[in-house]
Amino acid sequence: MQINCKINNKEYSFDSSPTKRVLDIIRDEGITSIKEGCGEGECGACSIFYNGKLVNSCLMVAPQMDGAEILTLEGLLAQTKHIRESFVEEGAIQCGFCTGGFVLRAYDYAKQNGVKDEKALKDALDGNVCRCTGYQKIVDAILKSLK
Amino acid sequence: MNYLKPKTVDEMLKNIDENPDFYIFCGGTDLALKLKNSSVDGVIDISSLKQFDFITKTDSMIQIGALTTVNTILENHYIENYIVILSDVAKEFASHQIRNIATIGGNIVNDSPVADMIAPLLVLDSTVTLLGSKGERTIPLAELFDGFKSLTLKNEIITTINIPIKKHQHYYRKVGARAKLNISKLSLAMIKSEDKYYLSGTSLNPYTKRFFNVEKLLESGEFNDAMILESLEKDISPSGSFRSTKEYRFQVLLNMIKEGLDGF
Repeated sequence: MQINCKINNKEYSFDSSPTKRVLDIIRDEGITSIKEGCGEGECGACSIFYNGKLVNSCLMVAPQMDGAEILTLEGLLAQTKHIRESFVEEGAIQCGFCTGGFVLRAYDYAKQNGVKDEKALKDALDGNVCRCTGYQKIVDAILKSLK
Repeated sequence: MNYLKPKTVDEMLKNIDENPDFYIFCGGTDLALKLKNSSVDGVIDISSLKQFDFITKTDSMIQIGALTTVNTILENHYIENYIVILSDVAKEFASHQIRNIATIGGNIVNDSPVADMIAPLLVLDSTVTLLGSKGERTIPLAELFDGFKSLTLKNEIITTINIPIKKHQHYYRKVGARAKLNISKLSLAMIKSEDKYYLSGTSLNPYTKRFFNVEKLLESGEFNDAMILESLEKDISPSGSFRSTKEYRFQVLLNMIKEGLDGF
């Protein structure tokens, strides 16, 4: 079926099987900041903004993209610059597989209410999994970016 | 796979009548995995029908449209003020990313024994409004379920969940292997209103139901642990699963009932 949508403010049009995942479609377009971690909606490495809401692209199928506006990290580089720098400064990255998802969630959190509170932030990160860092450096980096 | 996306209610009703075996699709967080892992004939995506995305309050009830997302419920001040238990459930529901798109109607009709929303809605005495091409009807939520993954819908969708507003105290606790993105080993939703008790929980029956025998026992005011367990034997039939054993579920449910009663 024919899908028309906007990804990172650019128009896309493609023919897709209706069961193809949004995650795979976006990566096939060369937009690879989103990753497949668990593939079942638990790890958040595939997070995208879908009409302004952060969601897991592994749990979405092609037709849901039709008419949608999608943003990934590639489309938010300027807006997330301070967050990404904070991750580097705090050493909040090891393998980096989860980082894109965490940066998008940090940006989302800051936009919503963004209270600078460790407990509230940890609750807010309930949809993002990191297998390397033990989270503390990620939490520190995001708290720092909220200054 | 066939993918239909009706733009109007009439078109949707026609789609459903012509394709009674197709899945109703909205946020897709449960169905996406099914689409990946098994062959599905078709889906009817009703996410365009925004008229079913609402939360309203009258003097006697709060009504939630079936397409309302869990995060919308979490952020709604009527629910926060009048139906605190539903806010508590929403807080612990999946993750932020899933709450942004998963709907309350989807959680109900997916009809998993571990669905978080069903038990609290049952103890709140909720009804659901159903719509099909033959018209609209409103039934108690409990009458929607008649077996494991079996619903009494007849070519219908849920449009609205109706929750009566009544003075009550509540208790909710979800127990699982981890703090976040927790698929429950079991949970308990309990309400006390005018000296009557209403209890239900997840993962304790093939489909979620109220614990009528325990409710009666608690109302009598005379009970001990053994009596609660004896009543529970009649109310729940948990199987041992990879998430938990049967014995664990009985013991922890007893502990939670007592913890809830202590707080009332």
